[in-house]
Amino acid sequence: MDNLNRRPRIGVYICHCGINIGSVVDVPGLVEYASRLPGVVVAREYTYMCSDPGQNLVKEDIKNEGLNRVIVASCSPRMHEPTFRKTLKEAGLNPYYLEMANIREQCSWVHPDKEQATHKARKLVEAAVVKAMLLEALEEKEVDVIPACLVIGAGIAGIQASLDIADAGFKVYLVEKTPSVGGRMAQLDKTFPTLDCSACILTPKMVDVANHPNIELMSYSQLESIEGYVGNFKATVRKKARFVNFNTCTGCGVCAENCRLAGRIPNEFDENIGMRGAIYLPFPQAVPAKYTIDPERCLQLTKGKCGKEGPACAAACGPGSIDFEQEDELVEIEIGTVIVATGYDVFDCTRKPEYGWEDIDNVMTGLEFERLVSASGPTGGHVILGRDKKGEGGYEPKKVAFIHCVGSRDKSVGNEYCSRVCCMYLAKQAHLVRDKLPDADIAVFYMDVRAFGKGFEEFYDRVRREGVRYIRGNPSEIYRTGEDHTVVIKVEDTLTGTPMEYEADLVVLGVGLEPRRDVREIIDLFKLSQSTDGFFMEAHPKLRPVDTASDGVYLAGCCQGPKDIPDTVAQAKGAASSALILMAYGKVKVEALVSVVSPDECRGCGFCMEVCPFGAIELVDQNRMGNIVQVAQVNEALCKGCGSCAAACLSGAIQPRSFKDEQILPQIAVLGVRI
Amino acid sequence: MVDESKLREKAAEVLAREDVRRLIGWKRGTYGFEAAPCVIKDASEAEALIFDPTCVQNPASFITLEEKKPVPRGQEADTRKIAVMVKGCDSRAIVQQLVEKAYDRDHVIVLGIPCLGVIDRRKAAALFGDVASQVSAKVDAEKVAVDVGGDVKTVDRKDILMDKCLRCRYPNPLVYDELLADEVEKWAGDEFADVGEFEGQSPEEKWAFWEEQFSKCIRCYSCRNVCPMCYCVECVVTKLQPQWTRRATDISENTVYHIQRAWHLAGRCIECMECQRVCPVDIPIMTLNRKLTRDVKEMFEYEPGVDVEAQPLLASYNPQDPEDFIM
Repeated sequence: MDNLNRRPRIGVYICHCGINIGSVVDVPGLVEYASRLPGVVVAREYTYMCSDPGQNLVKEDIKNEGLNRVIVASCSPRMHEPTFRKTLKEAGLNPYYLEMANIREQCSWVHPDKEQATHKARKLVEAAVVKAMLLEALEEKEVDVIPACLVIGAGIAGIQASLDIADAGFKVYLVEKTPSVGGRMAQLDKTFPTLDCSACILTPKMVDVANHPNIELMSYSQLESIEGYVGNFKATVRKKARFVNFNTCTGCGVCAENCRLAGRIPNEFDENIGMRGAIYLPFPQAVPAKYTIDPERCLQLTKGKCGKEGPACAAACGPGSIDFEQEDELVEIEIGTVIVATGYDVFDCTRKPEYGWEDIDNVMTGLEFERLVSASGPTGGHVILGRDKKGEGGYEPKKVAFIHCVGSRDKSVGNEYCSRVCCMYLAKQAHLVRDKLPDADIAVFYMDVRAFGKGFEEFYDRVRREGVRYIRGNPSEIYRTGEDHTVVIKVEDTLTGTPMEYEADLVVLGVGLEPRRDVREIIDLFKLSQSTDGFFMEAHPKLRPVDTASDGVYLAGCCQGPKDIPDTVAQAKGAASSALILMAYGKVKVEALVSVVSPDECRGCGFCMEVCPFGAIELVDQNRMGNIVQVAQVNEALCKGCGSCAAACLSGAIQPRSFKDEQILPQIAVLGVRI
Repeated sequence: MVDESKLREKAAEVLAREDVRRLIGWKRGTYGFEAAPCVIKDASEAEALIFDPTCVQNPASFITLEEKKPVPRGQEADTRKIAVMVKGCDSRAIVQQLVEKAYDRDHVIVLGIPCLGVIDRRKAAALFGDVASQVSAKVDAEKVAVDVGGDVKTVDRKDILMDKCLRCRYPNPLVYDELLADEVEKWAGDEFADVGEFEGQSPEEKWAFWEEQFSKCIRCYSCRNVCPMCYCVECVVTKLQPQWTRRATDISENTVYHIQRAWHLAGRCIECMECQRVCPVDIPIMTLNRKLTRDVKEMFEYEPGVDVEAQPLLASYNPQDPEDFIM
């Protein structure tokens, strides 16, 4: 109410921002102009308003001049609004009595003409003064944070984040879609550039998440719905039926051996180059080591009968763990924070038909090759191609080609970005081929080699010294000739300018990383945004790389963009620490700049509810003089004050605080007056 | 054609129901080419109901205009249903109102009437001059037979029917609980030729046109009041805090009003043409609305008022939406 009782006493502070503003805008002239505007008690300039002495100027004036409104004309409010709000608060003034005039990004940086820029700066300051008169004091509320975190995706990112949070003493719900944790890293053979065995360094962590007293591992589960707001989310997780009693299954594997479809279903974990049965463990080190029945393939589940004697798996199972009647279970959990670590899919090579991946057996993706060379893979780590269904026969390739940038840095497939890992994983794979097939001829076709990380350049050098030929050229076509396994790569060596045809009997495509194909589900659940490449967008590319626009929801790993393992682990630790800040402090401030509904004007059409990107609005019954009508209601903890609702509302019944029509219109009036 | 005795019978039957509060339909006007809308509460009044090409007014407008009076303490609000008779075009208003959650579907009983077209009183005046007697009419796929005080005259459809009827794509109601006659066959498409023609003019010509039209406006707000889609509790046009539009009837404020009105109907206008019909100073308001209707259809492949399950256009988002306006 003090804004009604007290006349506004406005202080205007104009920042030079070094020479960012000062070299274009006539700051002393602007100070002179501002000091004569109605309500302005004091106007000052300073080289850096955001500096300590700059902020002290404001504080002193609030005390000595009795200021009750402060205008800072400097950079974008996105940059320093929080800074100056704090200044006001420290001086005992409600922080929402601050108004910023952006004379840097929206003025000095974009207008080269000094006179016109100064004129615009004057208008912007004047508009801020008009609005400052109409500012209202707002109260920031605090809500409790539930000390538990939901981690979605149990790849290395999810595993690391879960372990960090659990070790700090907070509860973690780790939800994984597939039957086992491990994710993509579990599929890899060796890791570049150190050639650590991927499984060897990952499996201990996989076991840790399963055994940690603070982690509730929910494998073969999917997030069904989530509601609430930072600190207080309610999630429903669907635990899919494994059709195997989780508690009694010993993981002995007798069921899988007896399955009538054993070895007849492509194993997704092996990128479909290995086979499994309808009851399966995706890979030997799987955690939890519990078997799962594939409901889409199992004869008993799809056809209702399996052989004459009934399901062999059930008959063979010692503890009698197989239960065809099992049903999905919905579990409700309450959490304060969420870490999204849903990972990536590799590029779908059918979108690049000229490389023949679909039709030619010995053209494979990098990930398929990982399974081929992995000791736990279908060939036991031997580079053998063309085996029959029983795993017999086959041949060792003599000439191996690797191709860079398949589905990355390629506008024709819509992926302009660099996937950051392919250069190095192809170098590593070339090394592995050299290791296993010392006589093979190995050629790598590249556009550029980006060996930017720690130890990368050294490794790339080493691989070249091992007799791997790097040929600069982007293949135009890959096709098969004749009867044998020979595949021809048509390419121009762009260093010598000569067209060439390289014959190989194994081609590995360095497929790039793409957002998960089912990324939409997560976006809809959390209202996340995507960058142009389709990966989840962080709140700020430099300063908030693990946060999202939804408070309390953090990103880790490749769902935010292509990353190698160390970067993923680092980001997972960053996300964990961000989540821990909230949970350790136990309370969270909610935005005071939220939308408010005037329920008597609301017609209940729900347009605001539909456009709200945060799901903060719902329609509720209101008693209007005995008649029950529906009106919009804002959940203040969810609202971010973006104003989409106000734009959609036809009757102006919903308005964001501090950006109400009656506060903005006078500003427009000032800005609209002709020069 | 609908059998009027069956229509009255049905109306009486509906009104006799316990859970029905009132019925909105048409009765013969005192004079001229337009029937009067009427609200009846008792089955005995059903005899007055008619349906013929003079029944031009859109009764769907009245559903949302119903005043919700304060309920005295201890009494229950009257939540009985409202029955409404609608033509094809009128039914689109109901569909759009349902899309916008103006009321629940089970709040209304929709009595649908397949329609072959209604009379444009301006066209009729050009043919018949001022008519002080009561008029009735019959329409078929070729002609309209107009009975002016017992004197029957047959007129070509395009000379007397509303423009919307000549390009009508929804002669049969899109939402109804009961149809009062057999469905009729669709006879026209809509290529928005009128919009294309208008757009073909130079900006100067268009501005001169609108300047003349808007300067006539007396801001009676009839167009807003009659519009089935305009039913905000408090209209932004008449709000004082903040005051977007001043009350002065000058060209500037009038232009703002008309643009604002058209804009608020983007993706919502169901083209019943009521705004233009009621305008006392003959402003061709639909010219603005038609342009928006066409743009909405072409840019977003959206047509309001045809699907009860649809999302309102301005409250939905599709990543494939055109973004040509972003430079």
